[in-house]
Amino acid sequence: MHIKWLGIVASVLTLGVVGASIARADVLDDVKKRGTLVVGTKADYRPFGYLDPSGKIIGFEPDLAADVAKRLGVKLELVPVVASNRIQFLQQGKIDLMIATMSDTPERRKTVDIVDPDYYASGTNVLAKKSEGLKSWDQLKGKKVCLIQGSFYNKELQEKYGVEGVAFPGTAEAYAALRNGNCVAFAYDDTAITGEMLKPEWSAYEMPLDSILPQPWGLAVKSGEKSFADFMSKTVTDWHKTGFIQQLEQKHAIKATKFAQDMMSKYK
Amino acid sequence: MQVVWEWFRWLHQTTGINLTIFYDAFDRSRFASGLWMTVKLSVTCIVLSVVIGIAGAWVQRSRLRLARSVVHWYIQAFRNTPPLVQLYFFYFGLGSLLRTPGGSPWVTNVAWAIISLSFFAGAFNVEIFRSGIEAVPRTTVEAAEALGFSRLQTYLRIVFPLAFRISLPALNNNLVNLVKTTTLAYAIAVPEMLYVSSQVWSDELNVPEMMNVLLVAYFALVGVLVYGMHRWERALRVPGFGT
Amino acid sequence: MSDDARVSGSVLPGPAPWPVLLPAAAILTHEAMSARGAGASTWRLEREHGFALLAVFLLGCGIAQAQSGAGYPSIVETLWKWTPLLARGFVFNLAISVLAMAVGTIAGFFLGFAQISLLLPVKRGAWLTTHFFRNAPWLVLLFYCMFLLPFQVTILGVRIPIPDWTKATLGLALPVMANVSEIVRGAIQSIPTAQWESAASLAFNRRQTLWRIIVPQCVKRMLPPWMNLYAILTMATVLASIVGVSEMMTQTQRALSAESRPGLLLAFYSYVLIWFFAYCYPIARLTVRLESRYAVNQ
Repeated sequence: MHIKWLGIVASVLTLGVVGASIARADVLDDVKKRGTLVVGTKADYRPFGYLDPSGKIIGFEPDLAADVAKRLGVKLELVPVVASNRIQFLQQGKIDLMIATMSDTPERRKTVDIVDPDYYASGTNVLAKKSEGLKSWDQLKGKKVCLIQGSFYNKELQEKYGVEGVAFPGTAEAYAALRNGNCVAFAYDDTAITGEMLKPEWSAYEMPLDSILPQPWGLAVKSGEKSFADFMSKTVTDWHKTGFIQQLEQKHAIKATKFAQDMMSKYK
Repeated sequence: MQVVWEWFRWLHQTTGINLTIFYDAFDRSRFASGLWMTVKLSVTCIVLSVVIGIAGAWVQRSRLRLARSVVHWYIQAFRNTPPLVQLYFFYFGLGSLLRTPGGSPWVTNVAWAIISLSFFAGAFNVEIFRSGIEAVPRTTVEAAEALGFSRLQTYLRIVFPLAFRISLPALNNNLVNLVKTTTLAYAIAVPEMLYVSSQVWSDELNVPEMMNVLLVAYFALVGVLVYGMHRWERALRVPGFGT
Repeated sequence: MSDDARVSGSVLPGPAPWPVLLPAAAILTHEAMSARGAGASTWRLEREHGFALLAVFLLGCGIAQAQSGAGYPSIVETLWKWTPLLARGFVFNLAISVLAMAVGTIAGFFLGFAQISLLLPVKRGAWLTTHFFRNAPWLVLLFYCMFLLPFQVTILGVRIPIPDWTKATLGLALPVMANVSEIVRGAIQSIPTAQWESAASLAFNRRQTLWRIIVPQCVKRMLPPWMNLYAILTMATVLASIVGVSEMMTQTQRALSAESRPGLLLAFYSYVLIWFFAYCYPIARLTVRLESRYAVNQ
């Protein structure tokens, strides 16, 4: 009796494994068949992706995602991701498309398909107290700098610039730590810092240094999804051509970036 | 030593198992410092929480009702709230209040982690020592009184040594939990093993390998502690008491 | 009469153990009094705890209000605005804790029985599994399950999604399973051998002895540590926030970054503390009461 039960369990599991390997369909077809596009965006990175009190994710990137869903003629479902799990989610197929403030680096291109052209760009800069009097990156050597866990610039800042990194899981903690004086400066994307500095409580803080490591941001699809990648490539080109990116910058009070202007003139 | 590191590089090139913490010098030093920080945190918190437990068990038997209720409130508050939230509360909440006039914080994040975790484990230790103290027969205490020991002397020389031996198994359990709870310090950027490992796996994209390394490392660390405590238990065993 | 008896008001000559067996009623009276003295709290202490937490919470709000400038809505308004979202997160925490407890208890029972098995490989395997999962930090096990379990399985062509919180539940069920296994083993081993011998003399086989005689006696002994484990598990569910599950802690962090006002941290985290305290403290009280009721006279 026990052997019979074991046999049933074994056969179910084997079929399951076999079934999993058979189900290799195209993501774009899947999305159209399902009628829903699942996009991974940040939910704790204002203004690019954050929550409103009802729990809905809003911001720059959800707006981009909504446009993609509109073009495909499907519904949109947003899944909150963080830097440490966005690539895994895409690889596992949990999300179809990832628009999550991810910098386009060669290492990341090995793991997922990053769509060309890039949709946005930012550099790394710091938010620091005016009283610190920071003028150059060398002054940060050996000093405590707040970071976000999983950011691509963490390694370079610590290795090359000799910074003592204090990495937090989220931006709320990092901003709080900066305010409490647990670190001298907070290294983050300059676009986010300019947005944050508009708030009155940061009046004693500045972004004094030159942005380093200018990195374009890429949105990504799963490795090997050629038809979806081509579709997204056309979409992003269209966004630049029509100035959609700049419209969204204005809508979300983000300082107009040179990157967006350059891309618009390139694709006009 | 270089031969060993190079073997891991060969392992990566042939099998794809990427253990950069062995063959990459930067990652190697990072991981070593993380491991050392975990050991430091664990040892400091163990010592402090036992001290808090002893003091708390003493105050619990005080004649002042205020003292007793303070200890009782402390235990209930720290036992019924999540340690992660306690940590956040200390570091971000209290940390924002305790600042020098210049604006820099008084207490570092490592210090807050030690304080928070010691108080958390200390609350459990007070209860453990209390039940140990209650298991000491009253006749022993009366005999000490008859011999002219003061209350403090009775506690330090008679009651507590016996109570300690009786509560050693439960204390052992709690200290093992404490070592495991040190991973929470990751959330306030204390560079302990889990924090360092997460940095390594987000840089090198070798999540499964680092996970396995972490499991093995903690298994080994806790195993050492359990073995040591077991030996200590056997050495301190009181004949006629317990199993 | 000794000091102790005068204080406790009974006619018993001092605390247990007494050299002779006394009538049950006297024993029960004494037990109740010692339970009251030993830590089952009185009404007054309970209210003090609530007041203390409320005081911390109001202090936090006060500080936050002072730190924030004019033109911002008040702290209480902000908290109230985000409460529905936080409440949904808290329900997640409770769901994860209940499910992880259920799965872990069932698995732990079987593992506990395996630990006392007469077959040596089974016994060793069970011992190794139990100690492996007891030694591993809960956060690492959680990370392991989140990253290395697939996000969906396909059985017989049917795609079954495994959402994040399910993976977190499985990740938390593993240490629960190990702890329950230890509780079960400890309880079974605390039953006097005489019970096993009597059962053997009455021709019960091993399985019958376990299920009909030993386990019913064990259930009472297992209840207090099991409830203690549930309280610890409920508080451990906030760990799921570190791996991205949308439970109460994550929602709090997201609300804080959407608000991005200074000084809100203390108010929000005190709020979260109060919610957990309100849930866990009654369980702790119930556990103490059960412990004193089911305490075994040894």
